[in-house]
Amino acid sequence: MNKITQAFQRLQSAGLNRPLAAYRLVQAAILISLFWKWEFFLQANSIYANTPVEDPFFPDWLRSVTTIRFAFWGSALATGISLITSINLLRKTCSWLGFFGITLMCVHQGSYNDMTFVTIWWCCLWSVWLSHRVDTDQQELLMRRAAFLSRLIISLILLGGAAGKWTPEYWSGEVLFDIYFLDRDFWLFNYLRANYEPAELQEIAKWYSRQIVVVETISGIGLWVLPARWAALIATIILSVIVILSNKYLVSVIACLIGLACVGFFVPRRPRNAATLASPATEEPAAN
Amino acid sequence: MVDSNDTSLSNDRQQSDWGFCCIVAFIGLIAAWLLLMPWIPGIAKHSLQRFHLRTASFSVWAAQFPIPSMYNFANQYKVEQYPPGFVMMILDENENWRYANHFPARVITFFAGRYDFLSSQQDRWFTLKSSYRGQVLESKFHLEAQAEGGYKLIRIDEVEESL
Repeated sequence: MNKITQAFQRLQSAGLNRPLAAYRLVQAAILISLFWKWEFFLQANSIYANTPVEDPFFPDWLRSVTTIRFAFWGSALATGISLITSINLLRKTCSWLGFFGITLMCVHQGSYNDMTFVTIWWCCLWSVWLSHRVDTDQQELLMRRAAFLSRLIISLILLGGAAGKWTPEYWSGEVLFDIYFLDRDFWLFNYLRANYEPAELQEIAKWYSRQIVVVETISGIGLWVLPARWAALIATIILSVIVILSNKYLVSVIACLIGLACVGFFVPRRPRNAATLASPATEEPAAN
Repeated sequence: MVDSNDTSLSNDRQQSDWGFCCIVAFIGLIAAWLLLMPWIPGIAKHSLQRFHLRTASFSVWAAQFPIPSMYNFANQYKVEQYPPGFVMMILDENENWRYANHFPARVITFFAGRYDFLSSQQDRWFTLKSSYRGQVLESKFHLEAQAEGGYKLIRIDEVEESL
């Protein structure tokens, strides 16, 4: 932890604009999440055009494959520009465009169910807020608020996962046994199927499911109260383990959240005696 | 381990930031919704209906999209080539049911489900069943193949629910 902190302190002394650096890190993570869905986009582009499903529940334009094309590419392009631009107005505009595009993905018939777009949406909301604040003269306060929001969002997403699992079918492992252990082609489940009998697999599934319920519950309720850097570290570990032990498709859901979690590493550590000082700590924004 | 400087935002000179406050309040609202879901049946009912695309209106359904719901509820689905009850089932019915992680209607709407179940351009019948702490919602859908390609989704009225 100290080494990470020292590394960031060195970056600060080199003139790093921490809020802007954190903003760019999250944009890069959003792009990773979006383009991990590249296969989805290619297949959806073809299947939605050839096999439309007419359902009056959705407005026509939110069933159209054209809307998905514009929303996906518009969001990707806007996020890419907001990652590299040094013009504040352009950054704000692109943050809003990305936010708007991902909002469409979250309510479109062909993508509403994909949690990737919900986690990206929360990162986009954070990005819109930060893009309007990044030129403040109170960088340390802004950085602390940005980190607080980031861990609050991650806590909420984990809490959302936990709350829906507080039901007997998850505590018994029945759901995840069917989804993962029965036939999912992933290194962990392939290994377990090759080495354990079905009855043993059900027992493993039960404890696998229970540890997910417990970890999501504890981190959903408690992650946001941790100090910024510890929250960043713990969130990064938890999110990474979720991917490593579940399936590769979750990379798109989790990558942007890992980027958001890392915002906590940008919070400067105050000297111990500074806590007793009444005057606020301010930093002048550095050059982009 | 705990560094109180990191968690305290109030030690700094307060600079008004309505955007920050609104997002925090919004998150608090959703967190309260999630925490109350196990104890207030109405919230769980709304969420189950959301998963089956059976919310009263699209706008109410769409307003719920920010609520994170990864791997929520015990969602099962069954896909049949014939209308429910049309053929006497010889095999155990349980063999047809599979679990879905969330939003079980995805087997109809998402690209993978369309590829798996709707590539044949023949009618299909879907039954979705989601349960949460004793509440169960079951929905039936008829996907009617259209002559010009694609499908028309018809919600079958006779649904069983114990909400």
